[in-house]
Amino acid sequence: MPSHPLRVAVVCSSNQNRSMEAHNILSKRGFDVRSFGTGSHVKLPGPAPDKPNVYDFKTSYEQMYNDLVRKDKELYTQNGILHMLDRNKRIKTRPERFQSCKDHFDLVITCEERVYDQVLEDLSSREQETLQSVHVINVDIQDNHEEATLGAFLICELCQCIQHTDDMENEIDELLQEFEDKSNRPFLHTVCFY
Amino acid sequence: MVSSSSHPSFSSAPLRSPTVQRDSRRAAEGRRRRTGREQTADWKLLRRMSMEGDAPHVVDMTTSEKVVELLNQAALLGTEEKLTMLKQVQELIINKDPSLLDNFLDEMIAFQTDKSMEVRKFVIGFIEEACKRDNELLLRLVANLNMLLRDESVNVVKKAILTLTQLYKVTLQWMVRSKAVTERQEACWDMLTQMKGDVLALLDSENDGVRTHAIKFTESLIISLSPRTSDSDVPKRQDADISLDKIPKDHAYIRYDVLCEEGKSALEQLLRFMVHPAISSINLTTALGSLATLARQRPMFMSQVVQAYETLHANLPPTLAKSQVSSVRKNLKIHLVAVLKHPCSLDFQAQIGTLLLDLGMAQSEITRATPVPREPRKRPRHEQYPEGKKIKMEPALMEDDEDKEEPAAASVSKPSPAPAAQSAIDLTAHFLHPLLNPENVANLVLISMVYLPDVMPASFQATYTPVESAGTDAQIKHLARLMATQMTAAGIGPGLEQSRAREGDSKEGLGEDELSQELLIKRKVPMVHGQAISVVGSYGEKQPAIEVPLVKKLPEPILPSTQTKLPGTTGRKKVFRLADVVQPLLESQIEKLTSTAVKRILNSEKTIAQSGMAHIRVRLLSRLVTQFEGTMKEDVLGFILQDIRGRSDLAFSLLYQEYNAYLSQLPEGLLDGYDHCLYTLLSGLQEKPEQRDGLFTKLVLEAPIITESALDVIRRYCEDESRVYLGMTTLKELIVKRPSRQFQYLHVLLDLSSHEKEKVRTTALAFIKRMYEKDQLRDYIEKFALNYMQLLVHPNPPSLLFGADKDTEVAAPWTEETVRQCLFLYLSLLPLNHRLVHELASVYTEAIADIKRSVLRVIEQPIRGMGMNSPDLLLLVETCPKGAETLVTRCLHILTDKVPPSPELVERVRDLYHKRVPDVRFLIPVINGLEKKEVILALPKLIKLNPIVVKEVFNRLLGTQHSEGSASMSPLTPGELLVSLHNIDSTKCDMKAIIKATNLCYGEKNVYTSEVLAVVMQQLMEQNPLPMLLMRTVIQSLSMYPRLGGFVMNILSRLIGKQVWKHPKVWEGFVKCCQRTKPQSFSVLLQLPATQLTSVFDRCPELRDPLLQHVLSFTPHQQAHIAPSVMNALEACDKPEVKPVETPVERRVEAAPTPAPPVVVETAVPPPAAVKAKTHIVQPMQQTQPDPGTDDPVEEAMDQGGEDMGVQGKPDPTMTQAEVPRPEEAATPPAETTEEEEEEEEEEEEPMETADPEPPEVNRPIGDGDGDGDGDGDGEVEAADGSGAEEAE
Repeated sequence: MPSHPLRVAVVCSSNQNRSMEAHNILSKRGFDVRSFGTGSHVKLPGPAPDKPNVYDFKTSYEQMYNDLVRKDKELYTQNGILHMLDRNKRIKTRPERFQSCKDHFDLVITCEERVYDQVLEDLSSREQETLQSVHVINVDIQDNHEEATLGAFLICELCQCIQHTDDMENEIDELLQEFEDKSNRPFLHTVCFY
Repeated sequence: MVSSSSHPSFSSAPLRSPTVQRDSRRAAEGRRRRTGREQTADWKLLRRMSMEGDAPHVVDMTTSEKVVELLNQAALLGTEEKLTMLKQVQELIINKDPSLLDNFLDEMIAFQTDKSMEVRKFVIGFIEEACKRDNELLLRLVANLNMLLRDESVNVVKKAILTLTQLYKVTLQWMVRSKAVTERQEACWDMLTQMKGDVLALLDSENDGVRTHAIKFTESLIISLSPRTSDSDVPKRQDADISLDKIPKDHAYIRYDVLCEEGKSALEQLLRFMVHPAISSINLTTALGSLATLARQRPMFMSQVVQAYETLHANLPPTLAKSQVSSVRKNLKIHLVAVLKHPCSLDFQAQIGTLLLDLGMAQSEITRATPVPREPRKRPRHEQYPEGKKIKMEPALMEDDEDKEEPAAASVSKPSPAPAAQSAIDLTAHFLHPLLNPENVANLVLISMVYLPDVMPASFQATYTPVESAGTDAQIKHLARLMATQMTAAGIGPGLEQSRAREGDSKEGLGEDELSQELLIKRKVPMVHGQAISVVGSYGEKQPAIEVPLVKKLPEPILPSTQTKLPGTTGRKKVFRLADVVQPLLESQIEKLTSTAVKRILNSEKTIAQSGMAHIRVRLLSRLVTQFEGTMKEDVLGFILQDIRGRSDLAFSLLYQEYNAYLSQLPEGLLDGYDHCLYTLLSGLQEKPEQRDGLFTKLVLEAPIITESALDVIRRYCEDESRVYLGMTTLKELIVKRPSRQFQYLHVLLDLSSHEKEKVRTTALAFIKRMYEKDQLRDYIEKFALNYMQLLVHPNPPSLLFGADKDTEVAAPWTEETVRQCLFLYLSLLPLNHRLVHELASVYTEAIADIKRSVLRVIEQPIRGMGMNSPDLLLLVETCPKGAETLVTRCLHILTDKVPPSPELVERVRDLYHKRVPDVRFLIPVINGLEKKEVILALPKLIKLNPIVVKEVFNRLLGTQHSEGSASMSPLTPGELLVSLHNIDSTKCDMKAIIKATNLCYGEKNVYTSEVLAVVMQQLMEQNPLPMLLMRTVIQSLSMYPRLGGFVMNILSRLIGKQVWKHPKVWEGFVKCCQRTKPQSFSVLLQLPATQLTSVFDRCPELRDPLLQHVLSFTPHQQAHIAPSVMNALEACDKPEVKPVETPVERRVEAAPTPAPPVVVETAVPPPAAVKAKTHIVQPMQQTQPDPGTDDPVEEAMDQGGEDMGVQGKPDPTMTQAEVPRPEEAATPPAETTEEEEEEEEEEEEPMETADPEPPEVNRPIGDGDGDGDGDGDGEVEAADGSGAEEAE
């Protein structure tokens, strides 16, 4: 078992729902975790599917919260967005974009394939320096509250198992296979280097 | 920890900082420090100050003091805090005050033996940072890194690899920079080179992560050891960048060409690593990324990279799981796009495009990723980096992009490289292209159908994309290329042959340009063929001279005195190499392993059954077990027998496999294995408790061959009473369905037919009877049966009968049991085939008496079964072999026991009797079938037989034999019989027998009713001469039926009319009768003439007075009717003169028969005949007295009669003639007998032992049972009695 806690990044598109849910749970379990989005903007559901609320990554959760309260408190309370933002702001100030973060992780978990692709693209476009490895695993999670919660627990379990391996790199393949069988969903997995 | 010696002090009171310690510390530091003197003083001062004051000393401390403080603390703390401290130290001595680095180096490095791998990893990081800061430190630290590279923790090793990746470049740069290379530098480089080789070898590590890091190291190495060209992607950070082109070809120590070769060899290793079929998904991903990096940074390798991608794409490792395939393909796509984006991809755009299409990328995206060709350049995309000789003087620090044009220009003339493998693929693809017409393709598809796996592999499922452009030229080209890739990889195809051929050609004929190309090709071919150039060997060969000194010069690691670890104990692990690991196992180990392996397969029964692959397990087991010797066969058999029902499929499979093994080595093959298998299975089944599933039968019937031992088991199975039926059914099936060996099986069944257990025997017999109906088996069965019966002619029973298999005789005598054993089969066949009866007869004649007796006892059932109409039986009767008379008689008896004889039978018997064997006993069974005359004729002989036989004869004649009696069939009525008896000529038969016979009649009161007797008396009386026994019969009748008195009186009167006194015997009886019937008989007596009356009185004086009184009681008128002579006679006692009158009468009377007087005379010397003739009148009646054994009612009746009659005689035996011989007779029989008497006796008691020509034994069964046997009370007699009783029944 590695003596240092795994440095985990959880990545989804907007760093709101899925990554934050997982961030929440993982930090409660004592992981060194951070969360990110890979989208160019932060998008939140709006009054209609074609009218999302779009923010940039600099906007804090607090600001978004206030903005939505102002726009339609009723609607955003009902669809849980306000609740979500309320939770998020208690975890960290604002969403973060993965591509902008130069910190190193041991494990990056993405929440959908598109995000995975973007993370890979970003990581492979970076200049290699230390050649430290980072494992990227994609766990497909639908973008809604229930799935996010379920997915977060799955991610948490996965992280715990990985944390408990004696030699993560040697065992992760097998571990993921087991997890695939157990959770009955495929994981994409690759390794990149900083 | 500062030093080992100081450690205790620090630990006890770190803050006291004793002077001694400080001094020693200073002394140590003083050796190394360049600028530390004042600092030490300051430190000392501050230290003292801090001790005096309470101010937080850390704040005010110098850097050096801080470091010491931190180091001291770190030595005592746990891993976490220790790391924090050490990181601070690192920061302080590397970044803040690098001048301290040298001072504290040893202390820092000492942590490399820390227990915590995190600390060790930190030390590695520190080494890296330190060396980067001060390259000189490489000289000292590289050895420590080397140690850590062999650490037991893979994480440490990985960290060491990462650091080595960096430091290799750092060192290379440093070497290049150093104009004058010191010896230590050389040693340092050599060590680094050696470490590089070690890490390359770690590509074969068994740890996935280590391999991953080794791949990255290799990538970095290849890039460093190859020249950067103008179109190389260049990392933005230039500080640590070094490439081959920056290495001066005239370097004092480093050889450009060696490095160049090393780089190529590393690439080769990487490519080879990638095509390993069992590569892990992470390694593959890593390698794909590395190749992309290589292609972009070193476009000269692009063709190899693209080709590797192509090969991989077509041959994804089969070990990958489905999701891993997706991951790998995604990576492949990303890296292909990255490569495609590189301007040098121009030559490979078609291939990359095709691959990307296959990977599911839209054409539009591909187009977007494709760079616009940078046209104006006519020169090749990348430069051929020069072969060793070309000297390129390039300043180490000239790294501008602009500069790159120049070295590139130097190699302008090189032709575009088409590596051999690449061209081989191309050639093959060209070759294939025209061949791929629809017909050929269809054939290819059809052929490959055969080789398709059952389940679609994950990789195929993932890679399959519908062929959109089927049949277009582009698609055909693509297909051709795909196939060419595969063929080249497999080492076949015209392209490869051509390139090989070209290689083999002499180079003389080639132009110079071609020659140079040829060299290139030649160099690259080995890569394709996997002929590795050893990394170590490549420089080792070239530097043999310095190798020895090298050993000495190699840098030594800084070893703290506390270090206990040896480099040898580090956890460097190698990947699995069969040859290294494998050593021959001991025989016992092999055996154990195989047997446990088999056991595991055995015990996985349920699991496998659940997976539905049970049949494969069964097949596997049976094949395994038959192939190898050893105990596993036993294991498997035992396993089967535990639950043979559930595991019968395995049992059968095993059996067949064994048989197969036998067949496969037929000419000299042995059946042992098969035999053992079958035997064990069958025995197992046989020993198991009752089963009704017929598995035993199934096994027997489905076994390809029934071996001897298996047959034994079947036999045992049949002998089990509870399963005998099943067993014999099985045997029967075998006999019927395996004609080739049916007699062998039949023999077993036949053997069982004489089994001691009755159930077994009877079942076997029943089966044999059924078999007997089959023509092809008939002879065999018959022969067997007859052979068995033939055994009876032996004087002693052969041991065969006792289970021994040798046909030897044993001393034991024949017993009923053994005799029966020989006959069971025969007798059960007899009713089916009557002809066999003749065989019995012939055996019978030869057999000894005991056997004969037994035979006679056992034949009843079968003979009865044959019936009296059987022609063969009739024939037997007709021919009646000499010596078989008793047998025939017995047969006759059996046949007629319950039913009247048929005319045919009677005819044969009559023939036999008259023409061949005049033994009257033959007639008995058929007596009712004879004519009256014949019976009467035979009677004298018949009644001479043993009394019991006589009784039987009478039973038959009188129909008293059975309830359903055939009285009506009898040729004689009871009356006629009795009459006939009376009429037997006493010269033919002695009176005694006749009397006995009549007594038998009287015994049958039911038959001889008073009416019948009356008629008989009537008839007899009317005969002339009167039968001798007439009066006896009359008296007998009267005693049986007193109410016949009147009738008898009538008879008596009529007898008087017939002058009865002329027949002395009758007369005698007459008198007796009168005597017994007085006073009724008085009137009859009175009718007698006086003379006769006197005679009566002479014989019976006591009559006179009563008669006289009777007459006197008459009325005078009545008295008047009485003749005076009579009256005279009545009163004769008073008148003696009457006597003379009587005497003549008497004399006259006696003269006629003349027997009486001589009797009296002859008593002294009795001629037997005379005795017989004369004495027997009375004798039979008295004879009953010495024969107390009879309690027959008949005899009783006679007793009474006899007593009555003898009342007078007994008190005075000398009185009558009849009584004269009596004492003699009574005295003689037991002791001394006359010849005739003896004969008589013998005939009664043991007739068959005599020389009687007639059937000697017949009396035994027929007439035996006279319980007065003379004491030979052995078993035979008893048995005979028993059977006699049966017959009497």
